[in-house]
Amino acid sequence: MIGFRGGLLFMKNPFRKDLVSRSRPEACTVVIFGATGDLTHRKLVPALYNLQIEGALPAGVKIIGFARREKSDAEYRRGLEEVNKKVSRSGHDDAIWDEFAKNVHYHQSEFQEADGYQRLADKLDEIDRERGGKGHRLFYIASAPAFFDDVLEHLKMAGLSENKGGCWSRVIVEKPFGTDLPTAQHLNRVVNRTFKERDTYRIDHYLGKETAQNIMVLRFANAIFEPLWNSRYIDQIQITCAENLGMEGGRGGYYDQAGALRDMVQNHLLQLLSLVAMEPPTDLSADGVRDEKVKVLRSMRQWDTPELVAQNVVRAQYVAGHVDGKRVVGYREEDRVDPESMTESYVSLKVMIDTWRWSGVPFYVRMGKQLPKKATEISIHFKEPPTVLFNALSGGVPGGNVLVMRIQPDEGISLRMVSKIPGASLRLEPVKMDFHYATSFGKGSPEAYERLLLDSMAGDATLFARRDEVEEAWKFIDHIEHAWHQSKSPPPMAEFVAGSWGPKEADDLLAQEGHKWRRL
Amino acid sequence: MSDMIHDEYALALGKEVAIDSVDKELRLLWEADKASTNASLINLAVYSEEKGAIIKNSELMQTITREHACRAILIGIDREDPETSIRAWITAHCNLSHGQKSVCCEQIAFQLTGKATGRLRNTVFAHLNSDLPLVFWWQGELSPVFTERLYSLIDRFVFDSSHWAEPLASFRCIEQVMEDAEDLQPMDAEWTRSFQIRIALAGLFDDPLAARSLEHTTRIRIVIHPDHRMAGLQLLAWVLLRTGWTRNADLGLDTPRGDSFHLETHEGSDVTAVVESDPAAPPIGLIEFSCADCTVRVSRDAGSPYLHQQLDAGDHQIDRCTPANEDDAAALVMNHLSRGGKNSLYRSMMPVFLQLLGGDEE
Repeated sequence: MIGFRGGLLFMKNPFRKDLVSRSRPEACTVVIFGATGDLTHRKLVPALYNLQIEGALPAGVKIIGFARREKSDAEYRRGLEEVNKKVSRSGHDDAIWDEFAKNVHYHQSEFQEADGYQRLADKLDEIDRERGGKGHRLFYIASAPAFFDDVLEHLKMAGLSENKGGCWSRVIVEKPFGTDLPTAQHLNRVVNRTFKERDTYRIDHYLGKETAQNIMVLRFANAIFEPLWNSRYIDQIQITCAENLGMEGGRGGYYDQAGALRDMVQNHLLQLLSLVAMEPPTDLSADGVRDEKVKVLRSMRQWDTPELVAQNVVRAQYVAGHVDGKRVVGYREEDRVDPESMTESYVSLKVMIDTWRWSGVPFYVRMGKQLPKKATEISIHFKEPPTVLFNALSGGVPGGNVLVMRIQPDEGISLRMVSKIPGASLRLEPVKMDFHYATSFGKGSPEAYERLLLDSMAGDATLFARRDEVEEAWKFIDHIEHAWHQSKSPPPMAEFVAGSWGPKEADDLLAQEGHKWRRL
Repeated sequence: MSDMIHDEYALALGKEVAIDSVDKELRLLWEADKASTNASLINLAVYSEEKGAIIKNSELMQTITREHACRAILIGIDREDPETSIRAWITAHCNLSHGQKSVCCEQIAFQLTGKATGRLRNTVFAHLNSDLPLVFWWQGELSPVFTERLYSLIDRFVFDSSHWAEPLASFRCIEQVMEDAEDLQPMDAEWTRSFQIRIALAGLFDDPLAARSLEHTTRIRIVIHPDHRMAGLQLLAWVLLRTGWTRNADLGLDTPRGDSFHLETHEGSDVTAVVESDPAAPPIGLIEFSCADCTVRVSRDAGSPYLHQQLDAGDHQIDRCTPANEDDAAALVMNHLSRGGKNSLYRSMMPVFLQLLGGDEE
């Protein structure tokens, strides 16, 4: 009953076999850097708690919150409990929480304080001793990006980043993973000096969403789609991420430094794009999938001159308008935003993937704040059929087939097709077949962080970005950022009224090719 | 009295319709309510030969359809009734989805009596939603109605062996069905009752100390409610299947009733396994592995929604709660439906289980 995994010796647990159809998460100590932050309180700890509610969290998991503020274990647990009561998707059960909270501890230290990491190592050793030997360790860096280097370097110095005595040590790094290619490369160098690439998990919570995971299932478990999934049958693909919020809650300070392109497109939307456009992987292993995704990112045509950026990318800011019936201020009037800001709150771009499969098919990607509603979706627009039979009709054939994958909210899949209107005359109208997850599966989906935390405990990196994916994405984004902020003739910043679907220039971008944004 | 029963049926089952106009009446039902969404992922047939069960099952459907959109087909059978009749009712179970949309599932109820029970297959299965899988929930003892002509249509067969008076004979029948219909997925509620316990036990054996102690186990103790002997024996069969330990029937402790067994590990050590009954226990109240320096235990108090996971290895201890399976049949069926897909574990466990149940003594 002894086995090897990833070069490590371990005792096999025969009872796991065939019990649950997923990789087995292993008990470990989770150390969260940035333990007093919003992400830890609202997402990470509730995700771990919900895993415990579901019985999915391995027995013996301990959580250590690492942060700068002075707190006792009891104070820390109380703060987490208050938030958990408000946000936990399966509600809050006092009995389960009490059991869960016994395994939550607080560790006070500055991120740059070497002694703090030594004390952390001592604490981890103590936990391992109680456990009866060495234990696995999962370090989650959820601190401000400015501290990523410090945390990683100190983990190495304290000897915490190495796999020892049959136990693994892994790191999860939150976004933003760099602010451009050089900073991402620097961070990758630091991470890889500290942890092996196979123990590094760059998190992109979009990949943990059920519908994002379903993209591969839809494409490769249904025989009807894949034969059509190419330039012969597909006319264009649109990826939209619309938000109906602005810079509430002091987000303007961060956002004005990042902008829509770096905040959402570089990571989430290019990850979705690569899942939609990739070739079938040879297997579902982490590298099998990521090898195919990175090929897509590598094949993106580079908009590497200001002229090409001006032709293919539109940036914009919202001006005062109305969203959900409420008056909202313009981007430059937002809290903590520079009144002369040249940061985009909206971006739309055309992406061309120079592969055999996608030759000539534009991928239109758009992301914006203060749009009319919240929606993230991918729409596949198929070419129109030959109209020899119906082109004599008034109005002709009303549009081609559109397959839509809704990522959030109201997750689901719909297919638009053309149908005859009942009656003696031959009139055609588009109709929609619609599948809603919530209608068909009454049970709510788990939060993305639940899935991703379990995967990292199980050593399954399929839903995490690899070093080369991150760098290829930054390479593409950097050309655009450079044209906007460093060229002598930067493409202009467009404007649109908050509550509308973006600037006219974004419509023109598609109109050049005879396309239109899909109505959401 | 008869009228009162009929009124009760109408109240619980909806509109009575002629057997040849079920589809037409269902269409009218939807035309009358344009605000609702009709959802269905499976055909869920529920079969019972118990009087009045069809009404109780309609109430269960209200609960099940909240999480599992389906076309529900309720079947009530009275083979002893001298009168030959088939009656049908239609209704819809509607639930607010996420507080917004009214999502409804159709229900067709059939009551067949006397010789009409022979028409079960043709009558009922003419009303399946095409292309969707058929989950067939058989309540009570298997009867002569359960034939190859019936089970050849079924994708997933749900039953509760805790109700069986002659479990060995019935399990032999299930074994035959599994041989005849390789794609059919059997789902025994007794097996599902141990699902969370198996998860919790596997979780404890993730611990390196527990994993190391497994081969040194000297005793396994399972405590069950007297009505759930099948659940206890299936749980033990799973342990044997997974550890590869074998039953040693030559040693004295083994009894014909099969509640205590001598087992042998890979290394030839003896393990005593005892399945004890306790009327105060929940369906499965305890499974405990003991060796000289370690005890691994998953336990549950009657009525508690939690399992208690405990590992006691001297200085190293784990003590925490995880969710337990709910006990009632509807919740178990929902639990099974939530997991979907195909699982070969039950089929793999069956030969070991039949051996424990006494099947090898025939």
